[in-house]
Amino acid sequence: MTGWRFVLRAASGRKAEAVARLTVQQQLAYKTDFLLRSSFLLLILFVFVQLWTAAYGGDSAKVISGFTMKEIIWYLVFTESLTMAAPPLTAKVEEEVKSGDIAVRLIRPMSYLGYHYSAFLSEAAFRCAVHLLVGSAVAWSFVGAPDFGFGWPGFMALSLGALTVAFLLNASVALCAFWVEETAGLQFVLQKLQFTIGGMLLPVDLMPGWLQRVCAWLPFQAALYLPARAAVHYDGAMLLRFAAVQIGWIAVLGALVAFMYRRGVRKLYVNGG
Amino acid sequence: MLALRTRGLSKTFKVKRKEPGLGGSLRSLFRPQWETKPAVRGIDLDVEQGETVAFLGPNGAGKSTTIKMLTGILHPSSGEAEVLGLSPWRQRAELAYRIGAVFGQKSQLWYHLPPVDTFELIGRVYEMRRDEYARRSRELIERFELGPYLHTPVRKLSLGERMRCEIAAVFLHRPQLLFLDEPTIGLDVVVKQRIRELIRERNRSEETTVFLTSHDAGDVEELCSRVVVIHHGGLLLDEPVERMKRDVLNRKTINVTLADPVSDAALALPDGARVVRAEGRTLTVAVDLRRTAIEQVLATWIGRVRLEDITVEDPPLEETIKHIYGMRQETEAGA
Repeated sequence: MTGWRFVLRAASGRKAEAVARLTVQQQLAYKTDFLLRSSFLLLILFVFVQLWTAAYGGDSAKVISGFTMKEIIWYLVFTESLTMAAPPLTAKVEEEVKSGDIAVRLIRPMSYLGYHYSAFLSEAAFRCAVHLLVGSAVAWSFVGAPDFGFGWPGFMALSLGALTVAFLLNASVALCAFWVEETAGLQFVLQKLQFTIGGMLLPVDLMPGWLQRVCAWLPFQAALYLPARAAVHYDGAMLLRFAAVQIGWIAVLGALVAFMYRRGVRKLYVNGG
Repeated sequence: MLALRTRGLSKTFKVKRKEPGLGGSLRSLFRPQWETKPAVRGIDLDVEQGETVAFLGPNGAGKSTTIKMLTGILHPSSGEAEVLGLSPWRQRAELAYRIGAVFGQKSQLWYHLPPVDTFELIGRVYEMRRDEYARRSRELIERFELGPYLHTPVRKLSLGERMRCEIAAVFLHRPQLLFLDEPTIGLDVVVKQRIRELIRERNRSEETTVFLTSHDAGDVEELCSRVVVIHHGGLLLDEPVERMKRDVLNRKTINVTLADPVSDAALALPDGARVVRAEGRTLTVAVDLRRTAIEQVLATWIGRVRLEDITVEDPPLEETIKHIYGMRQETEAGA
């Protein structure tokens, strides 16, 4: 790498870090929102604990498609923590385009996508940590302490890739705001796909064989199923395979998002005066 | 040296046309009709380094679209522009380090955090050295008198305090060219005055080129040396502010509240001043500054009528621009 490229990359890193720090600081101002989300997570997990207890007939030793009840509940803690941590990127970009505030972002010597990625990642990581604490309290009291060993670092490692895939999926929908006025419909579809075939509500392993094969060719599981599965069923070789899947999707979606941005920014109509 | 140069700069937008009512909405859904709307038509403009230019025009004239093209946010439909020797839309990132912009009421400050945090972020984003950032932010905080509210969340600041922070923030990275889109909108007279002084001071001490749009004649008169007027997307006028003041901004309105009902003494005015409205104890007088001065009008009242309150106003800039447009059309028709 030539010297100037190194300097350029280091400077971008510092900018990203500054955006990340401010995003977390700003998050601390939203205490009520935090409390509400966390209480909602408590409620969701409580409902699912009841549901799975019924499905397993209260038998903690029973195994369904390779998962015990304890593993399923902890799996849900991981997927819910990640899902609920993702900031509303689509709404933010749409609002920036509609209000014309995007002008303030575009006059800065910082990549527009880079800015949103730093903000997304820092907010999501912060929220995910809080959700994990809250979720763990519920799971621990109903199904017992986690004994996943390397599953925790496995989850941490794949969470970065998972949040990056989630960012790119959301960004591909958010950037549609450069062409169309409303992206809420697309966002709704994306969210529901993540909930279902992304493996948020139940692990992909519990789905019918044909659906598992379809899911394997889609990016949604890279954002939720892979890190949660690696947490509850840790295996070194599997972790590497999952990481490779995430890297592949990051490359594909990254290229798509970069292409969309380059095309969109040329067509952009900035509102507001 | 030129700070900015445009040749034939144009921008057209495609706008969807829809007939009124539900039927129109349904037809638009299946057979959308588009219309091309020219926002900016072939603007040629040269601005020298260090100049202060007022870029005026009524709403929808194309001012903001032009500024957005010059800052690289919008790509033009045709024409060329060079800003500080760079092509704004092709070299946007490179240009961004050398220009600054305040877009009307769009805030660059983080709403829930104190201004000092945004300053810090700006220092990082513009890759300022730490010692340079510390020196520069200290200097601006002192000059803009931001100390008392630097650590207060932006949401708790008044509009005037916030605007001072916004303008100080835009000077942090020492931009060579500053685009100000309605910098004093919504502010009271005292704050407006202070903001103008601060911008003027930076222009003089650092030779910052200022390109300003405003609906406030005061901004133009006190900050700018040259005025460029656009109307319907095209250039209408480009001349020194002094000449515009002499030829066009030559009228003022005096609103007077008297202690007693309007009398003949109050109505005896010098040539060049005429009564627009007299009702009860209030009097509105239009003054043609080419023929008389404000002081002369006031002098006719002093000692003869009892005054309670007086305000002197500029005619709205919109009215002035319409006046220029009318004059231009008359000249063209005459030719």
